Amino acid sequence: MYLGVFTWNIRTGYVDTLASHTGLELTRWVMTPGRWVWTRLSSFWERYVYFVGVRQENETLREELAKANDELVGAREQASLAKRLTDLLLITPPPQWTREASRVIAHRLGPNAALETFVIDKGRRSDVDVNTPVVAPEGVVGRVLRASMNAATVIMVTDPNSKIPVVSQKTRTQGILVGRGSGQPMVLQYVSLSAQIEPGETLVTTGLEGIFPQGLPLAAVTNVNREGASLFLNVSAQALFDPKRLEEVALLKKAPPAKPEEEEALPDTSTKRPKGAADRKGEVKKRGRNEPPEARSQEPAPKKKRGEGQ
Amino acid sequence: MSGRRVAFWSVFTLCGMWLQSFLPGVDFLAPGLILSLQEEKLRTTLILGVIWLFIQEGTGSLAFGTVVLWYGLLVGLFFFGHWLFEARNFVFMMILGACLGVLHFGLMDVMTQLQDWRAAPGRVLVESIVQAVVFPVQWGLIYIIHNNLPHNGQNI
Repeated sequence: MYLGVFTWNIRTGYVDTLASHTGLELTRWVMTPGRWVWTRLSSFWERYVYFVGVRQENETLREELAKANDELVGAREQASLAKRLTDLLLITPPPQWTREASRVIAHRLGPNAALETFVIDKGRRSDVDVNTPVVAPEGVVGRVLRASMNAATVIMVTDPNSKIPVVSQKTRTQGILVGRGSGQPMVLQYVSLSAQIEPGETLVTTGLEGIFPQGLPLAAVTNVNREGASLFLNVSAQALFDPKRLEEVALLKKAPPAKPEEEEALPDTSTKRPKGAADRKGEVKKRGRNEPPEARSQEPAPKKKRGEGQ
Repeated sequence: MSGRRVAFWSVFTLCGMWLQSFLPGVDFLAPGLILSLQEEKLRTTLILGVIWLFIQEGTGSLAFGTVVLWYGLLVGLFFFGHWLFEARNFVFMMILGACLGVLHFGLMDVMTQLQDWRAAPGRVLVESIVQAVVFPVQWGLIYIIHNNLPHNGQNI
């Protein structure tokens, strides 16, 4: 029976055709959706895996970006600091004054901070004393009000209690510059009606108060007018620095006078000490080092005849 | 003072000092003094008072004595109010805050005139208002924090 059907199918191909049209077709209809599902699933999986990789890569890139941003912010901060410190270093202290940089650590603190002040990180240990002038690259900021070992409180020139004698740079008009508080323009008092002061002029210190060196820029004149029956002009000025952006300042300190030994040693090229030099050295020590050398030289030196005391 | 108490007051002092740099002219340590008085541990109050007195006087710009009056009057007001009201009442703290605001304005005016200084009245007025608002709020916060610290709930 089997051999009969087998040979008949080989000769005619009917069974093969039937099998093809049934089984194969069924398989096709079964397999095609399965394949579609499989393709989709594998595609989804591949995309998922890809996205996981992308996400990981994205996270890595984000971390790198954040790190780069941090570095950029740090670099910008460093660049800003470098610029500010360079500006501070460019402040040329007047002759016989030295400059020392300091950082602003806080502005007004506590209920007792009635005045326009800020705190710096230098104190008596750095030879900072009361009334030490404080400057910024733009101009005078204020003076030291009180000092501890490693900190000091600086009263700003914008404080109403700050009164500084100034002179205008161009027309040489003198007056007293008084603060009016934070954000308020300063006032130049006692300017005569005949004064030729102009807006835009820079006001510089006169040094008459004995605290600030002469010629330091302090404020710029913003407005000049006359009011009522006043005998003086109304002159407004704006401080050259911005109190809110103050981060570093420079302290101006009087340079110590040259050592007497150096003064005497410089002109003396001989190896032999002149007669009476020891006595003069003793005198200098008695007078004290703070006395200016001019004062010492003005005093008559004890005249000694040649050969006297030998 | 126990270690926990020392830690609490140290953190409070540090935070208060930092906050004071953000809001100039406002005392962020005063509510701590009241909280310490409410604990009824006089020694702790005395130690904290002396430390804070020197901090405020040292960072201030007026001559020594303003903060002595400031804290002295605050303590006086507390005891006076304690006699009249419930000391841990928030309304009492609001009244105390308002009194502190007035006190800040008055003290600044008197002390600056005594020292021949001038302070911008507008700015002092704003500080006084901020002080009056900040005081009860800060007291409430530290009261809650302090009360929720381990072994502290029964003390207040």
